[in-house]
Amino acid sequence: MRILLASLRTAIDAGTVVVLAGMGELVTERVGVLNLGQEGLIGIGAVAAVIVAEGVTSPWVALLAGMAAAGLLGFLFASSVVVVRTNQVLTGLAVVLIGVGLSNQLGNNYQGSPVVHRFVPFDIPLLADIPQIGPALFRHDVIVFLSYVALPVVVTFLLFRTRHGMNLRAVGENPAAADAAGINVTAMRLLYTSLGAALTGAGGAFLMLSFTHAWSPNVARGRGWVALAVVIFAAWRPSLLVFGALLFGAMISLGFIAQQQNWGIPSSVLSMLPYVVTLALIVLPPALGRFGVKVRSSVAPAALAQPYFREER
Amino acid sequence: MIGTRAEAGAPARVRLERRLHVETRRSALVRIAGLLVALVVTGILLQASGRSAPTLAGEVFRATFGGRFGLEETAVLATPILIDAIAVAIGLRMHLWNIGVEGQFYMGAWAAAGVGLFVDAPRPVLLILMALAGAAGGASWILIPAIARAYWNVNEIITTLLLNFVAVSWVEWFSIGLWRDKEAAVVQATPPVGARLPLLPGSIILHVGFLLPLVLAVVFFFVFRNSRWGFEVDMVGGNPRAAEFAGIAVRRRILSVMLLSGAIAGVSGMVHLSGATGRLQGTISNAYGLSGFIVAALAGASFFGLLAGGLFIALLLHSGIVLQSAGLSVYIVLAIYGVVLIGISVGEMASRYRLVLGGKRDLASGPKEAPP
Repeated sequence: MRILLASLRTAIDAGTVVVLAGMGELVTERVGVLNLGQEGLIGIGAVAAVIVAEGVTSPWVALLAGMAAAGLLGFLFASSVVVVRTNQVLTGLAVVLIGVGLSNQLGNNYQGSPVVHRFVPFDIPLLADIPQIGPALFRHDVIVFLSYVALPVVVTFLLFRTRHGMNLRAVGENPAAADAAGINVTAMRLLYTSLGAALTGAGGAFLMLSFTHAWSPNVARGRGWVALAVVIFAAWRPSLLVFGALLFGAMISLGFIAQQQNWGIPSSVLSMLPYVVTLALIVLPPALGRFGVKVRSSVAPAALAQPYFREER
Repeated sequence: MIGTRAEAGAPARVRLERRLHVETRRSALVRIAGLLVALVVTGILLQASGRSAPTLAGEVFRATFGGRFGLEETAVLATPILIDAIAVAIGLRMHLWNIGVEGQFYMGAWAAAGVGLFVDAPRPVLLILMALAGAAGGASWILIPAIARAYWNVNEIITTLLLNFVAVSWVEWFSIGLWRDKEAAVVQATPPVGARLPLLPGSIILHVGFLLPLVLAVVFFFVFRNSRWGFEVDMVGGNPRAAEFAGIAVRRRILSVMLLSGAIAGVSGMVHLSGATGRLQGTISNAYGLSGFIVAALAGASFFGLLAGGLFIALLLHSGIVLQSAGLSVYIVLAIYGVVLIGISVGEMASRYRLVLGGKRDLASGPKEAPP
C-alpha cells in the first residue's frame, strides 16, 4: 500500500510534462495546425530553463525563459506553415531535429550540474492531512497543481464556453467559413500555435525545475511523441488528456518501483513499457470499435494539418 | 482556382501566381538550393559560436576525400541510409510517413543477429537466412501501425515513431543482456555473428552491401513505372477516393506498401550488421533511419535523386564524426538536418509560384487547375 501511494505520487509528477506538452498540442491542433515538433520544443524549453536557472534565484523566471524560447521556435514553425504554408509534417519534423540538436549542443556544458532554485512541493492545507492518500495527491509543487487542475479547467472554459474559443475551433474545423465570418484565420493560427509551443516549453522547463533537476542529453526521451499520442487518445478534449498523461506517468513510476524493489525485470524491458502502453492507448479504441465494442468516437479537427488558401475558398 | 494576390483588395501590380505545373528540373534545383541555404545558415551559426566555418569545412573535406579510407567509410555509412531512404520513399508514394525506419532497422538487425548467432549453416545460406530474418523483423515491427492505418485510420507517424523507442530498448536488452558476449567482458555487444558480407574487390572496409541500394533503386524505378502494383500505389497516392472508385483495394495497398517499407528497413539493419559492425550492439544505428528519412524527403519521389541525396547526407553524417573531434557534439548534425528540411519545404512551396508583373487580375484567363 505504501509503495502504491508513493508510486501514485511519482506518476502524477512524471505525467505533468505530458499534460503540459499535450495541452500545448491540443490547443494547436484545435486551431487546425499539426505541430509534430513537441519533442524538440520540450528540449528547447528545458535547456533554456537550465541556462537561465543558473543566474537567477526564482524558478519562475527560468520557467518563463523556457516558455519564451519554445514559444519563439513555435512562432517560427507557425510562420512557416501558416504564412508560407509549408508541409506541416516535414516542418514539424524539422522542429524536432532543430530542437533536439540545438538543445543538446547548448546543454552540453550544463550536464551534471543540478538546478539549485527549484519548485518545491508543498501541502494543500487540510487535504494533505488525509491519511495515506493525502500526501500522494496533495503534496506536490505548484506547477503540478496548475497543470492537472487549473490548466484543463481554463482550456476547457476557453474552448467550449467563450465566443473566442468557438472562433478558435471554427478555424480548426472550417477555416473558409471562419474567414467568411470575419475571423482572422492566419492570426488565430499564429497565436495559438505559438502559445501551444510555449506550453510545451513549460513542460520541458518543468522537467528541469521540478522533476529530474539536471540536464542530460535527449532530455525529452520521447515524451513529446507521447504527448502527441495522448491528444489523440483524449479525443482533443482537455479533461481526458489528463488521464492519458497520468497513465503514462504510472508506467514510468512502475519502472522506478520495479527497480527499487528489485523485481528482477531488466531496466531495458521496463523502459519499453510507457511507449507500448501509449501505443495501445491510440490503437486499441478504434480496434475495439471494429469488433463491436462501443467506444466514444475520436474525430480530429476537420482542417487539421491542412494549409488554408483563401483563394481556394 | 485563381492566382494568389499579393495584397487583398486593391488591384495588385506584382502578384504571385500558382504554377500549373512544376517541372522536375525546377523542383530539383529548389531542393539543391534548400540544401545550400541550410549549409550557409549552419556556417553562419558556427561562425557566430566562435568557430571558423571554412577551417571546419576544410577539415571535413580532407577527412572524407583525403584518402581511400575516408571515402570508403562514407560509403559504409551511406549504405544503410540509402536502403532506409528507399524504404521511406516507397511509403511516400502513397503519402504514408514511415518514421519508424529507425526501429525497423534495429529489429531487422536483431532478427538477423539471432539467426547469425544461433544457426549453423554455410556462409551463403546463412547470409540469405539472415536477410530473410531481417526483412521479417522489420516488417513485423510495422505490422501494428500498418493494420491500424489501413483499417482503423490511426495516424502512422506517431505509431511508427513510438515503436522506435521500444526497438532501441529491445536491442539494448539483448545486446547487453541476454545475448551479451561473455568472453570479451569489455564489449557491450553480442559475440560476432556467424557470417559476414564479403568486401568489395580491392577495398579496405567497403562491403558488397553497398550495391544493394543501387539495385533496389533501379528495381523500384521500374516497379513504379511498369508494374500494375506500382501504378495502383501511385494512383492511391494521387487520389485515394478516385482509386477506390476505380476498384483498387486501397486498404490492402496501404498494408502491402507499409510492410514492404518495413521489410526493406529491416534488411538495412541486417546489411549493416553483417557488413559493418559484425556484432549486435545497442548503438548499432548512428541515426541511419532518421537520415534515410531526410534523404527521402530531400529526393521527393525520385529513386535516383535519392542516391545523390543519400551520398550527400552520408557525407554530412561523416562530417559529424569529424566535427566531434573538433569539439562539437554529434547533435549539431541533427540541427543541420532540421535546417535542411525547412529549406526544402520552403523552397518547394516557393517553386509552385511565380511572380507576375503588372496588369489587373484577370478572372477569366487565370490558370485553372484543381487544388492540390
